Amino acid sequence: MNSPARPGAPLCCAVNILKPRSSFQIQKSVIFALVLREARARFGERRMGAVWTLIEPMCHLLIFSVLFTLIRGRTLAGVEYPVFVLVGLAPFLLYRNTALRLMDSLRENRSLFAYKQIKPLDTYIARVLVETCISATVYAILVFGFAWYGFDMSVHSPLQWVATLALGLLFAFGLGMLLALITHAIPSLKVVIRMAFFPLYFISGILVPASYLPTAMMPLLLLNPFLHLVELIRAEVLPNYMPVDGVSAVYVISFTIVLLFFALGSYRARRLHLISTKNG
Amino acid sequence: MFELKNVTKSYLTPKGRRYVFRNLSLSIPPEKNIGLIGRNGAGKSTLMRLLGGADIPDSGAIITDQSISWPVGLSGGFQGSMTGRDNIKFVCRVYGAEGEAMREKVRYVQAFAEIGDWIDEPIKTYSSGMRSRLAFGLSMAFNFDYYLIDEVMSVGDAQFKRKCSEVFREKLQHSKVVLVSHSMPEIKKLCDIILLVRDGGIQIYEDVAEGIRAYNT
Repeated sequence: MNSPARPGAPLCCAVNILKPRSSFQIQKSVIFALVLREARARFGERRMGAVWTLIEPMCHLLIFSVLFTLIRGRTLAGVEYPVFVLVGLAPFLLYRNTALRLMDSLRENRSLFAYKQIKPLDTYIARVLVETCISATVYAILVFGFAWYGFDMSVHSPLQWVATLALGLLFAFGLGMLLALITHAIPSLKVVIRMAFFPLYFISGILVPASYLPTAMMPLLLLNPFLHLVELIRAEVLPNYMPVDGVSAVYVISFTIVLLFFALGSYRARRLHLISTKNG
Repeated sequence: MFELKNVTKSYLTPKGRRYVFRNLSLSIPPEKNIGLIGRNGAGKSTLMRLLGGADIPDSGAIITDQSISWPVGLSGGFQGSMTGRDNIKFVCRVYGAEGEAMREKVRYVQAFAEIGDWIDEPIKTYSSGMRSRLAFGLSMAFNFDYYLIDEVMSVGDAQFKRKCSEVFREKLQHSKVVLVSHSMPEIKKLCDIILLVRDGGIQIYEDVAEGIRAYNT
């Protein structure tokens, strides 16, 4: 995808010091360069940018978990409430941010496509990597802080937990890519999509266990892969947590595969259009 | 050399699809400085982007075994909140210059663009002159078989302009250019072959004077 996509054309790069590289090497170095650039751009936006980039989501998580603890009482489903919220909210925010940031990626990186080595897909991958690193750091700091305060932060089944997190990330990547392609075609949809992410808070069972959601609506609510992901993640972290009936990893996996198929397919179909400077 | 085989290129605009080139086939002989001329909007820049690989034809292929630069003096790819040094490093990484090669390029650009310790300031604090000097220096730091030049040959004040053309003359000993320009004296001075872009087609003139005459009539 990343080499100059011209059949029969040998890979080219500068003579003397620089050796010809394989497509994979080019893509690797492009993604590495983009990750550094992306991180620099995120951190460089404001004074003390690196600190703010970490503090912002930290405050978000802290306020939600502490606020709802005050409203709802200290324990729920056998666990301390702040732990319960943090465990589900942190991955949810990661997925949401990933999807939304991918959506903006094309517009923000358009000028880079004048360097022929850089393709839109590389900018997507770089964004996901940066977003994941920031989220992981924030989460690690918060877990450490919670544990220090006295909460039990151990993960019940760590391997499954990591696998589910990765699956969710893949899902968010597919979703973000599809949204990026859709909003590239119809830019005015961006506002609508941003707004659509807000109710997801409530229908994905972020702040309460999914079993508290109305039972009559369950078949409908279970269409939402975020609900499955959050429930699965909680069940894997908290030893006594019972996910609501109908939650299945298989559903998320198949949803993700279909989503990725469509995202990559439409990317392939639209790739000439994406790097063109003439539009959007 | 470049070989275009059945190249079709169109852009999708809100009013529908607009074709720049349709089923274009031609081969450009090797070891020539190429001048692209034509009226505004004829497709010169599109052709340049296609030759450089920054844009891909809808169908057909463009075949070359040469290394081709990004448009000389391109400053649109700079990230404003990153320092000059980081921006240079970014391009180095993309083009595979790492370690000592990267340090050497940074030194070269710093010296060439005469920006001194401004190199560690964010690009957005640069004057437009500094920015374009940096961009020009960055293009000159890499060696390519072909340099793509879209109108801008030199930037900055008179003294810097002189330096630009000196470096360029040196580069032209080993490299070639693809020059898009409306200035016929410049074309005459640099190019060995003319591609006249007109009405979605391209005529090749091996004789520069003849090409310019064809353009003017």
